[in-house]
Amino acid sequence: MFEDRRIGIALAAPAVLFVMLAFLLPVGILLSGSVTTPGGWGISRFTTFFAEPLYQEVVWRTLRLGALVTLASAAIGYAAALAIVDTSPATKGRLVGLFILPLMISPVARTYAWIVILGRTGLVNQVVTGLGLSDEPLRLLFTETAVFIGLVQLFLPLMVLSLVSALENLPADVVPAARVLGANWIAVFFRVILPLTREGLVIGGTLVFTGAVTAYITPAVLGGSKVLMLETLLYQRVSVANDYVSASVIAVILIAMSVAANALLKRAAAARKR
Amino acid sequence: MRYAGHAVLAAVVLFLIGPFLVIAAAGLSAGDTLTFPPQGLSLKWITAVFGMENFRQSFVLSLWLAVGSTALALLFGVPAAYGLARYPVPGRDFMRSIVFTPVIVPGIIAGLALLRHAVIPLGLPVTTALILAHTVLVVPYAVRVVTASLEHLRTDVEEAAVILGATRTGTFFRVVLPNIRNGILAAFILGFVTSFNQVPVSLFLTGPGITTLPIDMLASMEFVYDPSIAALSALLALMSMAIVMIAEKMLGLSRYV
Amino acid sequence: MSDRNFLTIEKLTLAYGGTVAVKDLDLTIAEGELVALLGPSGCGKTTTMRAIAGLIQPRQGRIVLAGRDITHVRANKREVGLVFQSYALFPHLSVFENVAFGLRLRSVARDELEQRANEAIGLVGLKGFERRLPRELSGGQQQRVALARSVVVRPRLLLLDEPLSNLDARLRLEMRSELQRLQRDLGVTMIYVTHDQSEALALADRVIVMRDGRIAQQGTPADIYERPSSVFVAQFVGFENIFKAGQWPLPDERDIAALAWRPQAVVLGQGPHQGRVLGASYLGDAVEYLIETPGGLVKAQTPASARRFALDETVSLDLPLASAARLAGQ
Repeated sequence: MFEDRRIGIALAAPAVLFVMLAFLLPVGILLSGSVTTPGGWGISRFTTFFAEPLYQEVVWRTLRLGALVTLASAAIGYAAALAIVDTSPATKGRLVGLFILPLMISPVARTYAWIVILGRTGLVNQVVTGLGLSDEPLRLLFTETAVFIGLVQLFLPLMVLSLVSALENLPADVVPAARVLGANWIAVFFRVILPLTREGLVIGGTLVFTGAVTAYITPAVLGGSKVLMLETLLYQRVSVANDYVSASVIAVILIAMSVAANALLKRAAAARKR
Repeated sequence: MRYAGHAVLAAVVLFLIGPFLVIAAAGLSAGDTLTFPPQGLSLKWITAVFGMENFRQSFVLSLWLAVGSTALALLFGVPAAYGLARYPVPGRDFMRSIVFTPVIVPGIIAGLALLRHAVIPLGLPVTTALILAHTVLVVPYAVRVVTASLEHLRTDVEEAAVILGATRTGTFFRVVLPNIRNGILAAFILGFVTSFNQVPVSLFLTGPGITTLPIDMLASMEFVYDPSIAALSALLALMSMAIVMIAEKMLGLSRYV
Repeated sequence: MSDRNFLTIEKLTLAYGGTVAVKDLDLTIAEGELVALLGPSGCGKTTTMRAIAGLIQPRQGRIVLAGRDITHVRANKREVGLVFQSYALFPHLSVFENVAFGLRLRSVARDELEQRANEAIGLVGLKGFERRLPRELSGGQQQRVALARSVVVRPRLLLLDEPLSNLDARLRLEMRSELQRLQRDLGVTMIYVTHDQSEALALADRVIVMRDGRIAQQGTPADIYERPSSVFVAQFVGFENIFKAGQWPLPDERDIAALAWRPQAVVLGQGPHQGRVLGASYLGDAVEYLIETPGGLVKAQTPASARRFALDETVSLDLPLASAARLAGQ
């Protein structure tokens, strides 16, 4: 009954064509702008882009923040996920819900909270000046640290959820078995838990890294023009200078980063498995 | 070991949820500037937000945009998910990956590309452009969630319907649709939330006068120092919380995230 | 007067993707007959059945039902019923609505619809379960709903695809006799697909054994059980000792390929041949021996009350020609 492939094609065609026309085509044209030079094709747009120290710094910062946010999320994520799977099923369900919830809330609202906390008259500065630790308010906003904190808060749930599902699929009794064989907790983590949950770590890591390097709201609100990341730089180049050439170069870099992160993490997982 | 683990978990939860409490408190401030702790509690700014014309307009646009683009995405996505799940379509994996590309490409690029190479050349109005962009963004979610729920429905159930006399179309509406209803509702909620909260895709497509709520909020942050945005953020968080809780009760939304 | 050529299949060839599952199949079934399609998995029996139902389009050949060529008729217009191995009940509909599904599509008037659906539900013994959902029923009950749902629309032909394979042994026996009763009461022509020879022999008027997309043998259950015509069918119905013509202990008979004996037909303790006991298993009412002979291993079964033989004992044995099945081919 489901033999007729023409029916399948007819059903899938509208969605596929729609995505191709309304998305892939314009994106393709935009990206092609990065390799079109006055004289034809070439990579001169990229060499010009990378010759600019400010841009170099932004690329480097984006990568650095992406890596740091991923590392921090992995470390915190393991601690939280291990504690979550250790609870009763009912509690576990509620905790998982607690980690899903923030994902559904507007990132603008989530990021704005940090202005209230880190601002000149915000929570942290009230405490710091109140305790007399500093005479005048600390400048916490528009720093790389603020962006880092905001990004971790935004993407940590993705890591925790991936790790929880990986830990749930851990074969029963492997941890007690390792303990009985005399392994301490550090050995259990690095020799048993980590290898067996690598896939969850890879999935979570990819989600967090790509989320962080392609974030717009967090660097825009908490970093401003002082702490530019690639997306905020792209926005600035287009809205301030109508610089579509740099925009297309940044677009290629962003997509390359996402794709590379996927490939790299996949390979890392495959290599460790062997 | 156990207590240490629980202490870490408590700290993590505080880190995730705490900011919402802070912003809710700031939104309930009785004062005129954004401070924490708030200068006295009142519903002053909460009620004030409802009276702000710009936020009201952008909220309505965001709402329609989320409903409209999610509905459109489902119109594209449900048949595609069904066709690709059931029929031996040549290049099925390729078609699936085409449909999923909007997830991989950063939204800001999609928005800029659409603006430069579709909206401007074709002279599309702002709302059409926004609908197009948001629909593209939601299609992958629709396809993914509906595909997952189709996998729970055995194909021989559909064959049974046909043998009992139903047409293909009749089978889809009488048998398939009622059984994937929860998946479609889940896709709708995910799509709605994704579109409603979307910023990067809309960034280049909105303009003065016609803007979505999150972008309106981002723009207002630059010159608004009173607690109104905090109040609005708290309201949005509350709305999402209500949606998630209802959805979880009704459908077990967490299975689809 | 029943139609002897109620269902006629001519030169049917079926293919899945590139592989041919059924090749040049010819088959005739009389009205009111219960025919079993028997064979191991992959023999083409289910594929044949799905082609009759219209779920697969044949590469070649013709299917004629009650004088009407249905080869190119859509599955929903064929008036053929099908009971699926997995029952395939509609998960979102109650027992009543599952049974009424086909009637609603035929726009049967409300009173008649209720009456017919309730009658069918009664027929399979599910009165009182009308409002239950499929997931609230046991496997056997789901099976009954599937049956009621198929017969309520009065199909000209009812196909059953391994309908009992998901039930436990006791329930299987019970459903087997219910199926027979149902078939007798309704007089519906049935094709029953199974890989279980005892089920086919117990139920069917006629058994068609299939192998590699072709018919290996057809006949009454007794024909198949007692007079298998090929090595394949003989093995399938329990002839475990098969010797090719010209080999030990057989004479060279030119018109047959092999002779076959069931373990029960082998005589132990007397006879012209000698063998050594390799193993003995007590089966309760019988003892089964594995015996090494110059021509290969022989499996023999003797009543538990007969003389026992010890391991490694040398025994005389006979393979009487009178109780052998003569196999014409592979």
